[in-house]
Amino acid sequence: MTRVKSKNSAISKIYAILIYVILYFPIAVMILFSFNDSKSMTNFTGFSLRWYRELFNSGKAFEALKYSLLIAVLSALISTVIGTLAAYGIFHMRSKALKRTVQSVTDIPMMNPDIVTGISMLLLFAFIQVIFGLQKSLLGFGTLLIAHITFNVPYVILSVLPKLKQMDKSLVEAALDLGCTPAQSFFKVEFPMITPGIISGAIMAFTLSLDDFVISNFTIGNTFETLPIMIYSMTKREVTPDMNAICSIVFVVIFALLLLSNIFDGSRSAAASITEKLRKNSKVTAIVAGCVAAVLLVGSTLLFIFAPPPAELTLNIYNWGEYISDGSDDSFDVIEGFEEWYEETYGKKVKVNYTTYSSNEDMYNKISSGATEYDIIIPSDYMIAKMASEGMLEKLDFSLIPNYKYINDDLKGLYYDPDECYSVPYTYGVFGIIYNSAKVDEADVEAGWDLMTNPKYSGKILQYNNPRDAFGVAMYAQNLDVNSKDRAVWQQAFDWLAKQKPMVQSYVMDEIYNKMESGEAYISSYYAGDFLFMYENNEDLAFYQPEAVNYFIDAMCITKKPTRDAETYELCNLFINYMLSEEAAVANAEMLCYASPNSLVIENEEYIEYMSDIHEDAMDILYPEGLDFKAKYEQYAYLGLDAETNKLMNSLWSQLKVSAEEDEVEITNYISLGILAVIAGTAVFFFIRKKKRAKYY
Amino acid sequence: MTATVKKSRRSLTAAPHIVWAILFIIAPLIFVAVYSFTASDGSFTFENFAALGDYTDAFVRSASYSLIATFICLLIGYPLAYAISNAAPKMQRILIMMVMLPMWINFLIRTYAIMKILEDTGIINTVLQAIFGEEFELHMINTPGAVIFGMVYDYLPYMVLPIYTVLQKLDPKLSEAAADLGCNKVQTLFKVTLPLSVSGIVSGITMVFVPSISTFYISQKLGGGQYLLIGDAIETAFGNTTTYNIGASMSLVLMIIVLLSTAIMNRFDKSENEGGAIV
Repeated sequence: MTRVKSKNSAISKIYAILIYVILYFPIAVMILFSFNDSKSMTNFTGFSLRWYRELFNSGKAFEALKYSLLIAVLSALISTVIGTLAAYGIFHMRSKALKRTVQSVTDIPMMNPDIVTGISMLLLFAFIQVIFGLQKSLLGFGTLLIAHITFNVPYVILSVLPKLKQMDKSLVEAALDLGCTPAQSFFKVEFPMITPGIISGAIMAFTLSLDDFVISNFTIGNTFETLPIMIYSMTKREVTPDMNAICSIVFVVIFALLLLSNIFDGSRSAAASITEKLRKNSKVTAIVAGCVAAVLLVGSTLLFIFAPPPAELTLNIYNWGEYISDGSDDSFDVIEGFEEWYEETYGKKVKVNYTTYSSNEDMYNKISSGATEYDIIIPSDYMIAKMASEGMLEKLDFSLIPNYKYINDDLKGLYYDPDECYSVPYTYGVFGIIYNSAKVDEADVEAGWDLMTNPKYSGKILQYNNPRDAFGVAMYAQNLDVNSKDRAVWQQAFDWLAKQKPMVQSYVMDEIYNKMESGEAYISSYYAGDFLFMYENNEDLAFYQPEAVNYFIDAMCITKKPTRDAETYELCNLFINYMLSEEAAVANAEMLCYASPNSLVIENEEYIEYMSDIHEDAMDILYPEGLDFKAKYEQYAYLGLDAETNKLMNSLWSQLKVSAEEDEVEITNYISLGILAVIAGTAVFFFIRKKKRAKYY
Repeated sequence: MTATVKKSRRSLTAAPHIVWAILFIIAPLIFVAVYSFTASDGSFTFENFAALGDYTDAFVRSASYSLIATFICLLIGYPLAYAISNAAPKMQRILIMMVMLPMWINFLIRTYAIMKILEDTGIINTVLQAIFGEEFELHMINTPGAVIFGMVYDYLPYMVLPIYTVLQKLDPKLSEAAADLGCNKVQTLFKVTLPLSVSGIVSGITMVFVPSISTFYISQKLGGGQYLLIGDAIETAFGNTTTYNIGASMSLVLMIIVLLSTAIMNRFDKSENEGGAIV
């Protein structure tokens, strides 16, 4: 007889409810902030539907969500099939050595840090491309799918194997004795018994795939983005609440579907247990699932073979996340503007593929592998120097970029591009100290970088969580050369950071916005443009610029691509020129809040007014009067470091991070030793018990 | 011996996976291995492994955090899976899906929300201060505890699901028999149910311990970047092409450590299973 009622006691019900409350607490907070009036993810200023409106207006997030779902469904289906078959095969392997080897190899994608899996797959795809002499980039939907299947399969195997082990072996033997073929015994006996394992494997695969960022980032092509990639590339700046909004929508829709299916299910057959029904319907379910899978597979293959007829020209742009005026907040959509302008002027349709990255290094890794095709990129200065020296950049045709004359002369001919042939500056900016004026005494601010080691504000100071910038702060504070190759200099910077460490609240990157805006931290170092972003959400914040600081320039470049035809090359240059036109440049400068190198922007009345609305001193902060930019830049800006120095820096960095407060490290070590002891004790207990029992039988 | 022929033929179903693994797991690993044995100029060297001494503490910390997180996941997850498997059948599916559902929310967005809850000026502290007065502060964020909480939160479903799938199909007659023979509920749990669900537990432990040892984002966001884990170190090293080599050697060593520990655990599973069969 099947049991229909819950057998749980009140205690276990309360326990389960408690766990669910903890699990759903963050989700509730996320949904709450999707209705926030301001851009902040930490200060709830009022209820508004602003972010939902934004979401539906732009539609880009839905596009990304569509691809995320498609990849998640396909990879979950395929990896469930491969994984279930594999688990079945592994279970029936007679050679123990083989079994163990296969199981160990299966564990590898699970334990490798995502970045290792991602980069090694990228290298593999690039290698295949070279071996087969392929002209076109391999990276695309297919490679992304392969990567997702690879990291999903282990989870399916691990959830199916226990069900196989649990199964009564005599059932299969009986089936075989009664004349079933192995295939028949699988489908009639084993499959129905392991179905729950298969289902939970598929659910896990879907979940992992839906949320993967790192591996996708390295294996995706240049034509589309998934939702996680879109969200992570925003971390160059602030992740905007419209991402909360789309996640909330996904959550609510799924939750509603889940409830509906259950109500529907329950009303139809309250008496029959799910297990029995599954068994009865397993054939139907299998057929339906098979059909759905087949349709999806064929459909998506067709979709990508017969993709919509290509526009006459395509332009692949690879830019930082949130680094262009894209039509959000009723701004001007620069990409759309360019497409329209080009069609009007040249009578040809151009399709711009616009995708984003979150760091120079990610972008470099991907392009240097040779597996991708991008036309326009916007790297930072030191990266341009590196890429130019490695022959990865194409020379620009300045006859097609007449607007170059509007670029500030101070930003021309700098070290990264001395002959002015590879790059056109897009934005520039400067570090400074951001502090909470309600909590920090003005007198202390005058100390400049020493504010960041002022014990008075211990526990309220933020430091960069990347070695280059953190060491940079330490070096500026002590007037050291940030590009030094001298070990002693780096050691001196290390000592400064070690002294600062006990006062540091946390080492941060994108979280800096949240922590400064909410008042969780009082002091941090970041770029002037980012300060303006934060100021919009917390008017107590102020900006101080010490004498020695880092300056950066991000500039537009064209990548080297031998297969690019003359017309596309011209298109690339025209795009750069378009970005310098008044309409596009002003829209971008307002969106980005960084300083613009373009005189059309700086002299634009509307722009000046817009910036002054954000902060009354915005123009002075971004464009300090009497600044000899070139001299400062040459003295203080970061250059690329050589391998030795990079290695030294990383090793010092990990020393800094490892030397945490001793007592805390010890506590966790003791706890884990205790756990190990418990495990060992259990093992010994079972071993002894087994021996004893062996005596009896 | 037709039976054995059939049996060995059945293992052939693993073939697609093995081919796939060779192409997309082993082959990319060769690149990692090559990097780990070469200097940045391409010459052969053992230096990358020699340099790993600097990272011993990070290895130890990663291992101990993920061990603790796995243990907590097991302690919390087993009773939860048990409770779900005892719920009314029509509730079971919805309950198990509800364990998984939070993971369908983007990781970064989820983590921001957790930060908002745990911070000194966050939700919990605001509530506490309203009750106990302004001075009260429960410091949670940027501690090892917060990092471990994050790990448990993110990996709990991977512990609950495999245990639940095993418990769900346990023959209720076994526990009924145990009860008839005079076992109380606790005895039934420890003598019958627990031994019979070991294979699910082992899967769960693997799915929590193995990925959590290489995690990096959680410690950065919830630990305030103060507690360097080996995943962070590898990520930093791979963030820059000139330090790929040392990153590659770190991940190879990590791989060996994890392979050894899962090999030991799989033995555990075997001996346990035999024990369970005797019961």
